[in-house]
Amino acid sequence: MKVNYKKFSTGGYEFKDFKGNPINKVIDMEIPQTLTIPLKQGFGGEVSVIVKPGEYVKAGQIIGIDKNAISSPVHSSINGIVEEIKTIKHLNKEVNAVVIKSDGTKEWQPLEGHSREWNKLSTEQIQKLLYMSGVTSLDKSGIPTIFKSSVISPEQVENVIVYGIGTEPFNISLSVLLQDERKSQFVTGLKILKKVMSNAKFYLAVNKKNSKLIQELNNLLFDVDWIELYALPPKYPLELDEVLIPTILGKKYPYGYLAANIGVIALSMQTVTQVYDAVVQGKPLIERTVALGGTGWKENVHMKVRVGTSIEDITSLYLKEHESYRLILNSMLTNKSLTSKSLPMDRTSSVLIALKENKEREVFSWLRAGKNKDSYSNAFLCSLMKVSNKSCDTNIHGEYRSCISCGFCEDVCPVDIIPHLIQKYVKKNMLDEEVIDYGIFNCIGCNLCSYVCTSKIDVAKDIREGQEKLTKDECGRDTIVEPYFDLIGLKEFKNL
Amino acid sequence: MKKIHNLFDKLYKIESLKKFKPVIQAADFFLFGTEETTTSAPHISDNMDIKRYMIMVVIALLPSTFASIYYYGWRAVAIILVSYIVGGIVEVTFAVIRGHDVEEGFLVTGLIFPLVLPPTIPLWIVGVGIFFGTFFGKEVFGGTGKNTFNPALVGRIFITIAFPVFMSANWYEPFTSGLGGFLHYAPDVVTSATPLASIKAGVELPYSYIDLFLGKAPGSMGETFRLGIIIGGLFLIATKIVNWRIPVAYLGSVFVLSSLGNIVMPETIASPGLQLLSGGLLFGAFFMATDPVSSPFTKIGKWIYGICLGLFTILIRSFSGYTEGVMFSIILMNGFTPLIDSIILQIKYKPIKKRSEAVLNER
Repeated sequence: MKVNYKKFSTGGYEFKDFKGNPINKVIDMEIPQTLTIPLKQGFGGEVSVIVKPGEYVKAGQIIGIDKNAISSPVHSSINGIVEEIKTIKHLNKEVNAVVIKSDGTKEWQPLEGHSREWNKLSTEQIQKLLYMSGVTSLDKSGIPTIFKSSVISPEQVENVIVYGIGTEPFNISLSVLLQDERKSQFVTGLKILKKVMSNAKFYLAVNKKNSKLIQELNNLLFDVDWIELYALPPKYPLELDEVLIPTILGKKYPYGYLAANIGVIALSMQTVTQVYDAVVQGKPLIERTVALGGTGWKENVHMKVRVGTSIEDITSLYLKEHESYRLILNSMLTNKSLTSKSLPMDRTSSVLIALKENKEREVFSWLRAGKNKDSYSNAFLCSLMKVSNKSCDTNIHGEYRSCISCGFCEDVCPVDIIPHLIQKYVKKNMLDEEVIDYGIFNCIGCNLCSYVCTSKIDVAKDIREGQEKLTKDECGRDTIVEPYFDLIGLKEFKNL
Repeated sequence: MKKIHNLFDKLYKIESLKKFKPVIQAADFFLFGTEETTTSAPHISDNMDIKRYMIMVVIALLPSTFASIYYYGWRAVAIILVSYIVGGIVEVTFAVIRGHDVEEGFLVTGLIFPLVLPPTIPLWIVGVGIFFGTFFGKEVFGGTGKNTFNPALVGRIFITIAFPVFMSANWYEPFTSGLGGFLHYAPDVVTSATPLASIKAGVELPYSYIDLFLGKAPGSMGETFRLGIIIGGLFLIATKIVNWRIPVAYLGSVFVLSSLGNIVMPETIASPGLQLLSGGLLFGAFFMATDPVSSPFTKIGKWIYGICLGLFTILIRSFSGYTEGVMFSIILMNGFTPLIDSIILQIKYKPIKKRSEAVLNER
């Protein structure tokens, strides 16, 4: 295996040393009394339910499947009785969900046809295992199989990128995810994926500071020639497909489309370990390892939770009382906050963040040395010292002001556009060809410009507004981006 | 603190003071900071804000400010105070009329302006200058962030042209021994000329490079202590407040052009060492040319801007009737800023229609 060290110089920002980072401790969460399992989880459309209220289901039993549309099956993650099927607002979409009452047992029903000797399984058998386990619905484009699990077929995949860089303020710990024997299982997972997507070249993207992991992966993969390792700086938003793919492959990304549309599949490390679980151990996707990030938790542990566990079951155990916290799933920079604690954790969950709601006013905040104040600029003492307890909360730390063109947003922009320029065009409602030329549709919504803005302008939101208006006026990405690329699986993507 | 807090709460409620809400709010936020929280993603926000941004510039100007007191006495403080008070009144008046917040930009303008004035300037001229600068240089354009020209320079140029006698004829020797100006109100020893004027007249300079570097030669209040200016400038670059491209391009082009010019025309173009260490070049390069609002925002634009600044400075210093060219060249290039930016944008971002036609033709 080849190890490449690569820089990432077009923007980005390294979030580091925030207070409330997940520690290397895993806790198996007890089986909750009831679960709510959304019928749309991860990549693909909503599946149709195949169980009825009152029916007894086993953990691992498929409760929803749709063989005709792009989707992957959904399982019950506990043994128990189906209580009802109701509509919930999950991740800003109305979806049907199955509520199951647990009987308290932990056992799960393994998949048919799984084998320790996975090498002897045919490619079709492996693909069936992956599809039936639900693993194919993970990450942004899903995993292509002979079933309708992604927008392209496995042969069309040219490149597979597996990433575990950790670029968010709070990340799931790789030492937890790849603990002990999990590392070799991870490598087996890679080999299984290679068997499915045999035309593809594989890339591993890891944090360049994690030299121990690089060394260990190198030892495990030293004789493998179809894989390359890229050691990258942990700069946000490198883990987004739109930035990761150009950085590693040097390919242009069709902003607004799937990586699969250009024959690339990007997967997180947890997905690969779950590929192993499905094929070798026959374990369907009924459990996720979730890190608890942020200062709102009593202890920042990792938890193994069953899919469908309500957030309340976790918060009642670990959330600090007497203070108000904002709950966010996976990313503080791009995701909306969770409006209700009754919402379930789904297959895509990897970090649950409890961010302090800070309405407190700080006396002479602009004069303080700032020993734990994170900033893109070096205007606080924090950038000189090595601290591990930078504070982070919801306060905007300043007043809304006019843009002074300080250029911070341009410096951090990972797609090389000038956010403040485009924002001004949108605000003046000058939505014409010029603003399209300046790359308004290159914006991938990583929100870093809004984070660094000294005038506290929500630059990214305004740019998104401009994109929406232009799309309404039939100047959307299908006329601006599409003509430049030979996109595959486009029809399937548009039907999603 | 609680008492002050309650006082503000009461002030907000008084009906007759409703119009002055921007002023009360400015004072309130100045003391207590904000309670505003993010509403959607990103849920976290950088600790940097405009107050901090401007304060960093003020901190970087402190060496020059203290040097101006040391070299020219406590009158320097009086000049700064007049500048802050008059400038502040203009800013606040416009905030009240327009009903928007008081922006912190005047904290910097109000300090930069006095530092580029001669030490014995009558206080009323200081008032007139800063009034003109903030009013016509900033507010008529629409306030902070929308001005084409650097407001401090607009004020400086206005009084240079309106009151030439006060601006270029009266220069005083700085205090250089012991506690210097900390024991005096104003300088009293008249000197014939600033180093730049001596160079222009072809007279041999009575000052060594070290004198120029430490500020022992006469000049504008804050422009002479060049060691402090360089420290302040580097501080701003290190904290990312100021982009390094403009000072590097400006000072670099002055160095290169004067080196070449000095070889060709040693009589008219002074040597690079003298060029860099005299007049307001260093102060202008670090604190005025770098004003983000009035300088180009494109990276290549910043280089072009800096190089042109160097060219014009050398041209004006060597071939015009004026001894100093820094402020004229900055104002001139401020005017060209939108043009530079739009040219760079046109080159960098090719029209999408042409691009798509090319792609479609290929197929």
